[in-house]
Amino acid sequence: MFTMNPVLLGISLLGAVCFLAIISRAREFFSDLAFYLPMFLLITFTNPLFSHNGVTPLFFLNDQPVTFEAVCCGAAIAGMLTAVILWSKCFYKMTSSEQFLYLFGRLAPKLSLVLSMALRFVPLLKAQGKRIHRVQKTLGLYTSESRVDRIRGALRVFSALITWSLENALDTADSMKARGYGLKGRTSFSLFRFHSRDGILLVGIAAALCIVLAGVGRGAADFHYYPEISELRRDTCSVLSGLMFFVLAILPFGIESKENLQWTYLQSKI
Amino acid sequence: MKKDVLAFAFLALLVAVLISGTKIQSVDEYYLTHLDDITPNSQTVTVSIRCDTVLQNWNQLDPALQSEKYVPANGVILPATKVVLRPKDTAFDILDRTVRAKKIQMEYQGADQNQFGSVYVKGIHYLYEFSCGPLSGWMYQVNGIYPNYGSSKYTLHPNDVMEWVYTCDLGRDVGNEWKEAG
Repeated sequence: MFTMNPVLLGISLLGAVCFLAIISRAREFFSDLAFYLPMFLLITFTNPLFSHNGVTPLFFLNDQPVTFEAVCCGAAIAGMLTAVILWSKCFYKMTSSEQFLYLFGRLAPKLSLVLSMALRFVPLLKAQGKRIHRVQKTLGLYTSESRVDRIRGALRVFSALITWSLENALDTADSMKARGYGLKGRTSFSLFRFHSRDGILLVGIAAALCIVLAGVGRGAADFHYYPEISELRRDTCSVLSGLMFFVLAILPFGIESKENLQWTYLQSKI
Repeated sequence: MKKDVLAFAFLALLVAVLISGTKIQSVDEYYLTHLDDITPNSQTVTVSIRCDTVLQNWNQLDPALQSEKYVPANGVILPATKVVLRPKDTAFDILDRTVRAKKIQMEYQGADQNQFGSVYVKGIHYLYEFSCGPLSGWMYQVNGIYPNYGSSKYTLHPNDVMEWVYTCDLGRDVGNEWKEAG
């Protein structure tokens, strides 16, 4: 996200796609891909319309050159955006609000509470909206042929949803107050323990991250697209940081697939 | 829902492309401009493009541009060239025709896209505004005086000498002090 280097962006994108593939169901994953691939292409080919710098013009559109460098820069921007979105999706799938509260509950209780409630709201509203829609359908709301009536029906569902969400928020607040949230000295039980394997993994990740940051500090990730695309660096510093970044990006996929294999193996022995 | 968003975005892109007009030319076609031949009774102006102020501010220059290929050693991108002046030619018309004939890269922003109503020259020979520090950009002078307004609004007269210079200090290093109004 912080560099425009195509190698690093490609590695990050690969890690995100692999990890998302392994933690979501096939149908979800392919429908996601079907959205993000056209988005990628759209951003790639919108950049040349605005940026005309670059030494290799492919053709001239309205007296402004559409250059190869602009297309590459567009691809890099699109890749960066897609990678960030996919990693956020993976993070959202992996962490539950309980884990979030446990981690940040002591440091910033109000902020972590607000964040976890906000994150919970989107799927909750979606599910409730679907429920209201289904009930209204059985009650005969969308039977009219006219466009205006259909829009009015959708607005009714929307206003019901908003009213419900406000009431739900009040209910949640009352319930939290009744259970004593925010009182001094309130503790919560959590089942998370820090094992030695967690410690080893943490140290490994920190070491890899230090190497990557050292490489970036020495200019391994510098890359520019205008007026001509800079050459990929091949010195040991850049290759090492690239390798360590690859290890970091593929780590979630590796751990998840190792666990899956172990599970399948143990199951087969029953 | 997501498909609708995507379809809408594609449609918006298509409409934007169509509205902006679609004049597609290949690279050769674009550079096929032929400079009019100079005959004894044709009116001419002299054009030159230079960027020698960059040589004095080398450490502020964008690292991607720090090479002989983009900044000539003597700072002259186009030496003084005589070009035929057609009637009602503006300073920008002459620049555009000359750089196309000499195959020099030039990027400009059309007159309808800024609030001044005139063409803004963003970059010549890959040197853009802010490429050499936050006070850098292109300026033009005619007969030693800087008009200080857009080049598509300045009509040239025969035997004018037009120079396009790259400044790294808002015009102070090329002889144009910008005085505040009033």
